[in-house]
Amino acid sequence: MSPDKPLGNFLPKDAPSYESIIQCMRCGFCLPTCPTYALTGRERSSPRGRVALARAVAEQKLEFTPAIKEEAFFCLDCRACTTACPSGVHAGEVMETCRAQVQSIYPLEGMQKAFRSFILEKMLPSPGLLETAMIPARIYQKFGIQWLLRHSGALKLAPKWMEKAEGMIPELHKPLRLQLPEVIPARGARRGRVGYFLGCVMSLMYAEVARQTVKVLAHQGFDVVTPKDQKCCGAPHLTEGDRDTARSLMLHNLELFLAQDFDYIVTDCAGCGSALKEYEEMLEGRADHGKLAAFRAKIRDVSELLAEVGVRSDGLRPVNASVTYHEPCHLCHAQGISVQPRKVIRAIPGVDFREMKEASWCCGSAATFGLKFTEESQQILDRKLSNVADTGAEILVSGNPGCQLQLAWGVRKAGLDTKVMHIMELLGEATPD
Amino acid sequence: MISQTAIEHLIERLGKENVYHEKEDLLVYGYDATPGVHHLPEVAVFPTSTEGVQAAIEIARREGLPIVPRGTGTGLSGGSVPAEGGMVLCISRMDKILEIDEENLTATAQAGVVTLDLFNAVAAKGLFYPPDPGSQKTSTLAGNVAENAGGLRGLKYGVTRDYVMALTAILADGSIIRTGGKAVKDVAGYSFRDLLVGSEGTLAFITEVTVKLIPPPQDKRTLLAYFDDMSTAGNAVSKIIAAKIIPATLEIMDKMTINCVEDYAAIGLPRSMAALLLIEVDGHPAVVAEEAAAVEAILREVKAAEIHVAKDAAEAANLAAARRTALSALARVSPTTLLEDATVPRSRLAETFAEIERLTEKYRLKVGTFGHAGDGNLHPTVLCDERDHDEMGRAHAFFAELYDMVLSIGGTVSGEHGIGLAKKEYLRQQVGDGGIAVMKRIKAAFDPEGIFNPGKIFDDEGPCAKVNVEEGFRVSR
Repeated sequence: MSPDKPLGNFLPKDAPSYESIIQCMRCGFCLPTCPTYALTGRERSSPRGRVALARAVAEQKLEFTPAIKEEAFFCLDCRACTTACPSGVHAGEVMETCRAQVQSIYPLEGMQKAFRSFILEKMLPSPGLLETAMIPARIYQKFGIQWLLRHSGALKLAPKWMEKAEGMIPELHKPLRLQLPEVIPARGARRGRVGYFLGCVMSLMYAEVARQTVKVLAHQGFDVVTPKDQKCCGAPHLTEGDRDTARSLMLHNLELFLAQDFDYIVTDCAGCGSALKEYEEMLEGRADHGKLAAFRAKIRDVSELLAEVGVRSDGLRPVNASVTYHEPCHLCHAQGISVQPRKVIRAIPGVDFREMKEASWCCGSAATFGLKFTEESQQILDRKLSNVADTGAEILVSGNPGCQLQLAWGVRKAGLDTKVMHIMELLGEATPD
Repeated sequence: MISQTAIEHLIERLGKENVYHEKEDLLVYGYDATPGVHHLPEVAVFPTSTEGVQAAIEIARREGLPIVPRGTGTGLSGGSVPAEGGMVLCISRMDKILEIDEENLTATAQAGVVTLDLFNAVAAKGLFYPPDPGSQKTSTLAGNVAENAGGLRGLKYGVTRDYVMALTAILADGSIIRTGGKAVKDVAGYSFRDLLVGSEGTLAFITEVTVKLIPPPQDKRTLLAYFDDMSTAGNAVSKIIAAKIIPATLEIMDKMTINCVEDYAAIGLPRSMAALLLIEVDGHPAVVAEEAAAVEAILREVKAAEIHVAKDAAEAANLAAARRTALSALARVSPTTLLEDATVPRSRLAETFAEIERLTEKYRLKVGTFGHAGDGNLHPTVLCDERDHDEMGRAHAFFAELYDMVLSIGGTVSGEHGIGLAKKEYLRQQVGDGGIAVMKRIKAAFDPEGIFNPGKIFDDEGPCAKVNVEEGFRVSR
């Protein structure tokens, strides 16, 4: 996206580039891949329709109307359309810039504004604050309040999103960031030194999964360094349209990780990985180009790295279970990583891998979409779970904490006995301690 | 503009969720996949039943609104663009497969069914619906029938027309017409079915389609060959056909396309080659083996520069990768992609390519050509930028001159995309004033008031033809 050029009825700051919009040739190949179009059958809720609306704004045929605001946030940003698009249009990214426009054109007021800026500008950029904020949630679980509330039906009185949000929280452990030793040495023949990008959600909600990632990487022959000063990757800010805070976080992480000599910068969160790979574009003109390119060249999703260097399977214990794989949108569509996780799963002895139908169809989580559009999110989730159930697999594997929260919640609510695991948990089970 | 009363009537008869009249919706029902055409309708309507279609037509007629039929807007000649405003009448929510009749080998479906969904449903019963237009994942049967869509399998298996057995459609007066049936032979009177196929929504609104199914081929074999010059490739095509082999796929790509694919996908294509042929023979395993060997021998005989024969499905997929990626690779090069469908007798392929090359140079354009060599159907694709008026003018001149040549050797101005808005002048050149006059009389017989898709195929002089401009869009009345 071009930096701050005026474009039609867009505000100059963080407008989409005209080139990114007129690249759409309206062939409609994106339509059958779009979960929101599948729900509504309405063109404006399709990638082609959304880009056409952005074009109408750019060409001053339309003001930036509330309907565009609605569509910008109704878009899951799942990027399935990017995969399907023959002409290289990034409709999800165009909608992200539209979200940034929304913040200027339709600014929030009063409490809403204060709450939003507290979360995006204060809380997320500060790992310490985030970790402290989770303490009440841990207490809530530990002392049986959660059990009490869930069983008393009191949550039914709260708004739908609150009931869902509560239901999604996994069993919490102490945040991992401060507990992890800064350096964990490789085991066996050394294959390199990686900087571990520990995403906020992984650290706060899935500390035990992240611990498995570190164990796996060390066992696979990597020195694992977890820089303590790392901050949020900026993905939530892009999603919510706060590109300024996103950029300042990005600059911080860029300097921090480049200061050390890493062969790779690895993450086990598809959302973080996708954002990390966008630093180059987001910071273009705001940081040294050589640095940005060097940073980009080192970023790997953990399954991408393991498939690239080859999973070392000697010493792995068999995991005798049937496994199916759900592709996180931000892994397969945003990063084009699709065969690699399957390779990793198949490398685990004992696994009976079963492909599900529509594996790359969104699960309906999509950052805060699942809480903002609970009804639509549920319909998308139902489609996913029915495909999961058809495989009869005992374990459902994914590679993104957002998917995992949604899938685990869905599975529990639907009464399925499928176990939802992160791919590193599965490989971690096979890896000796 | 459409009256508020008419909107209220539509909502009453079809339901609020099936009637859109806000500007944000109208904007996105004003285009299809044809570059450079965009007009605003006054309302977009999504009936879910035949009665709903009849109600919408009745209200449009009362209001004097043109009716523009639309599937999912993947057309490449502007057929579903509301050039004179009015009502865009969408079939996409009538999308049920009604019956797969294994005794008669037919399938009957509401016309809004997506082409690939029908293919998959019949494949699950061990049957085959061959028409495979490039947009089959998105396009509807109604759109395919209206445009008589083709596809990669056209050479051996034919096009949409060859599979339509019966149609149900609503006429302009709201009455239902049923034409054709499951009887394999049917010569009773004029074949309205054949008139409706390819009529581009100008005669009636199609609501239900019965198609013929066939048993799928049991086996297939894929070959790929490169050529140092285009005339050898053309020669190979002619020799294969002359050897009485009809491949299921016989696709060609020129040097520009090969290089664009390599720029984009880096799959190791030889950049210096003038042409590539992708050939697939299918059928009974014994026949497939025999034909594959014969094709390979012909390729050697004409001295193809490289010949690859796939040993298994994975290798076949690799060989097909270049062709599969062709459109994506070309479309990325520039903002605007003018994809045409000039079609010539297949024995004249080589000289058509030569002419494309000459004109590319003459008009200083970037043109990639790929297409269905086996049926002479080429897609010369001009990679340009609609903001560059001079370039667009040269592109127009390029096609005008190319179509002169195509017509002079007995070709056609449209192999599979239809005339729509984009090619009316070329059609007149092909069929003459007399031909257009007959078409108009046929149109008048079906649709005396001219409310169905006015301004398509030929210019119309009816009352709906008057347009005015509002906010940069053409809006009726």
